[in-house]
Amino acid sequence: MGEKIIRFEEVMKEYNGQKVLKNISFTLEKGKFYTLLGPSGCGKSTILNMIAGFTQASSGEITLDGRLVNEIPAHKRKVNTVFQDYALFPHMNVFENVAFGLKMKKTPKAEMKERVLAALDLVRLKDFANRSISEMSGGQKQRVAIARALVNEPEVLLLDEPLSALDLKLRTDMQYELSELQKRLGITFLFVTHDQEEALAMSDEIFVMKEGEIVQKGSPIAIYDEPLNRYVANFIGESNIVEGTMLADYLVRFNGHEFACVDGGIPSNELVDVIIRPEDIEITRSAQGKFTAEVDTQLFRGVHYEIILYDDAGNEWMVHSTKKAKEGTIVGLDFEQESIHIMRKDEEEEAFYKRLDKYTVPRKGE
Amino acid sequence: MERNRFNKFFDQSDSILTIPYFLWLAFFVLAPLALLAYQSVQGIDGRWTLENIIRYFSSTSYLKMTLQSFVYATMITLITLTLAYPAAYLLTQTQHKELWRMLLILPTWINILLKAYAFIGILSQSGAVNNFLEWLGIGPKQILFTNFSFLLVATYIELPFMILPIMNAIDEIDSSFVQASHDLGANSWETTKEIIFPLSLKGVRTGVQAVFIPSLSLFMLTRLIGGNRVITLGTAIEQHFLVTQNWGMGSTIGLVLVLLMFLVMRLTNKGKGKSKGGF
Amino acid sequence: MQKKITGSKIYLVIVFILLYLPIFYLIYYSFNAGGTMNEFTGFTFEHYQAVLADKRLFQIVVQTLLLALSSSLVATLIGTFGAILIYRVKSQERKNSLLTLNNILLVSPDVIIGSSFLLVFTFAGYQLGFISVLLSHIAFSIPIVVLMVLPSLEELNETMLKAAQDLGANSWQVLGRVILPNISPGILAGFFMAFTYSLDDFAVTFFVTGNGFTTLSVEIYSRARQGISLEINALSSLLFLAALLLVIGYYGISQYNRRMHEGKRLGADL
Repeated sequence: MGEKIIRFEEVMKEYNGQKVLKNISFTLEKGKFYTLLGPSGCGKSTILNMIAGFTQASSGEITLDGRLVNEIPAHKRKVNTVFQDYALFPHMNVFENVAFGLKMKKTPKAEMKERVLAALDLVRLKDFANRSISEMSGGQKQRVAIARALVNEPEVLLLDEPLSALDLKLRTDMQYELSELQKRLGITFLFVTHDQEEALAMSDEIFVMKEGEIVQKGSPIAIYDEPLNRYVANFIGESNIVEGTMLADYLVRFNGHEFACVDGGIPSNELVDVIIRPEDIEITRSAQGKFTAEVDTQLFRGVHYEIILYDDAGNEWMVHSTKKAKEGTIVGLDFEQESIHIMRKDEEEEAFYKRLDKYTVPRKGE
Repeated sequence: MERNRFNKFFDQSDSILTIPYFLWLAFFVLAPLALLAYQSVQGIDGRWTLENIIRYFSSTSYLKMTLQSFVYATMITLITLTLAYPAAYLLTQTQHKELWRMLLILPTWINILLKAYAFIGILSQSGAVNNFLEWLGIGPKQILFTNFSFLLVATYIELPFMILPIMNAIDEIDSSFVQASHDLGANSWETTKEIIFPLSLKGVRTGVQAVFIPSLSLFMLTRLIGGNRVITLGTAIEQHFLVTQNWGMGSTIGLVLVLLMFLVMRLTNKGKGKSKGGF
Repeated sequence: MQKKITGSKIYLVIVFILLYLPIFYLIYYSFNAGGTMNEFTGFTFEHYQAVLADKRLFQIVVQTLLLALSSSLVATLIGTFGAILIYRVKSQERKNSLLTLNNILLVSPDVIIGSSFLLVFTFAGYQLGFISVLLSHIAFSIPIVVLMVLPSLEELNETMLKAAQDLGANSWQVLGRVILPNISPGILAGFFMAFTYSLDDFAVTFFVTGNGFTTLSVEIYSRARQGISLEINALSSLLFLAALLLVIGYYGISQYNRRMHEGKRLGADL
């Protein structure tokens, strides 16, 4: 569906002889919430800077709304940024900060005032218009920065790790607010973060990045449930990953046992990574499990216990369970066949999704 | 509470090391100012008197001299500021900023007297400038020992002290402010006007302080270059202390200079962040 | 980098030419056989030979350097502890008033410093000479040391100091093993500034020196008042060379440090 608003075509960026972006291609649709997720140094901020116009691509094409933007200067793009450190002008008060963009466009005074107050209202800061920036708290500065960007009615709002400076409680609140704001305004958000929880909570689509490349694109659920490889699986949530051998379609061997699974399309006897999420494993009596393991340690995490176990082969298993386990006892581990996810070692994203479409048996809940 | 903290500070046994600093504060900061004030109310015969102060404020020549010194210092400050701001801005845009900064500092390491001395050669009756004027057919002019030469050399000497703080202030502006400004639709000129200039005012204030106050008291320049035609407050003080030995009057003029100094600091510190201490 | 309008480049070049013109003018005529700064009649080294043979001048240069070295060392010592004093004062008001007192000499015109120090020495009945000049140089260098050291103190991680105490260090050990090593760049910068302040000073020395002691600045002043002597030109060339070498050395070190720094930061989020 959706109209395309931003398109990257084979975009490469070299910096001091280092390739910080390697042939990135993607399209963003109007009105969606996108997240670039990856560790620091993976090039996600570079992508943002290119869209905003602070950096130029070394090669490749970037189009915004169908127009080639490689040559449009930053101040002429219909894109606004919420900076990581907010970059609120310290010599202006809240109102003047928010009004800055409109002032640059020579907006009439009355209209300017109306729109600034409306933007401040949007972020619930209407009564703070005359405060100086130094009087605002971290969370309030964050909202001023958002209002300052939104008042210009951008087609795309870029957010560069805007929540990283906030404490946990505030961060969670802002996640809700941002998500709701995006839905209400219907403009495209491109959010950059290294925090997988933030990404999962807010996004329509996540781009997982690694060393200048997009490793996997997909909805939060798709990426969580079907990570492309070990890197993505580790980056998104806790997981148990062991090595196994694919015996045939829907049959994998790991840990000295054979298991029925839901993946196929992989040559027989290929070495694969097998992943089972901690919350998908159930602790049973030793005779009832698929295999046995010894409880090593456990931590109470509030909602659940995080239990670490070791099986006979020496593999470590993490289990999230609402029931307590006893350290040193031998227990059984049980899981559904749908909980076993198989990942080929060097599969490309495209081939991976194609194979999934072809071989995956419909799972519960889908 | 306050007392406790103070005591706690002095409980630290290493605080003994700060005694020389306190001695310095007492003997070289407070005592000199106190003596300056004391001396100004002493007559030549050692009696308490307001004679000096009355004479200063009733004499047109003293008041004229003060006004002249003030006007010259203002002119020097304005000229250096006009020349320095664009230079400072352009320097922050260059690629080898540190190298340029060093090149700017280098002339300040050359003794000020040597630079003044160079101008004696350049501006003299048969010096380089006059040779050039002759070549143009204008003929030699008296340049040295004029008000103009004093202004010129003073501006030359003070210029780096105006450029450096402004350059540092512009350099310190977080690049994300400039990015944010572009992001919000401001072009380069608007960004300079709305963001860079207001945020660099701190440097302008420092520069004005660093140029204006010394310009009130440049005494050897008035002697070597100005040919005693321009009398600054500094020249007058030196004259009274070291030539006519009238320390009482010298101290009175000194007090006027100190007052002017405090006034300038007050004015230039207006609007500066409250958290910054001192001047 | 952005393409810059050539006009701005020309402006910068003119500013720098003007800044260096007098200095190069001096150096140029230091090789003049003619004896004036007007007409270059022939090349000669005789003025340099005269400078090097001038025992009195040599002695003055040594005196000036010794004065600068000793005064800046003492000022660095006193100023560093002054900065620590100001740093430890917790009340913002008290801190500000201390800083104000500290900065008075820094903003005072040198004529005021010179004349008021002359008053202090006279009232104390002190003989003018080397000691009075030394004390004055120490005195006007202390505030700049304080200002250079204070920022590196403010940057100190306070938890680190608490950690040192927690690990059993007494206040002397905290000072010697934790604070001083961590603020050494600031101390070094302060020393450097104090040194140049002392070398540069003319007015204060002029006021408080007696007949027995003179520095290079005072000497140049008295010679320059008598008119042009190309010996001064030769001397200034030598001084310029020394300053240039210092600057090059300093620039080299700072570039080296920066590269090391950047090397460490490579791979940070771009």
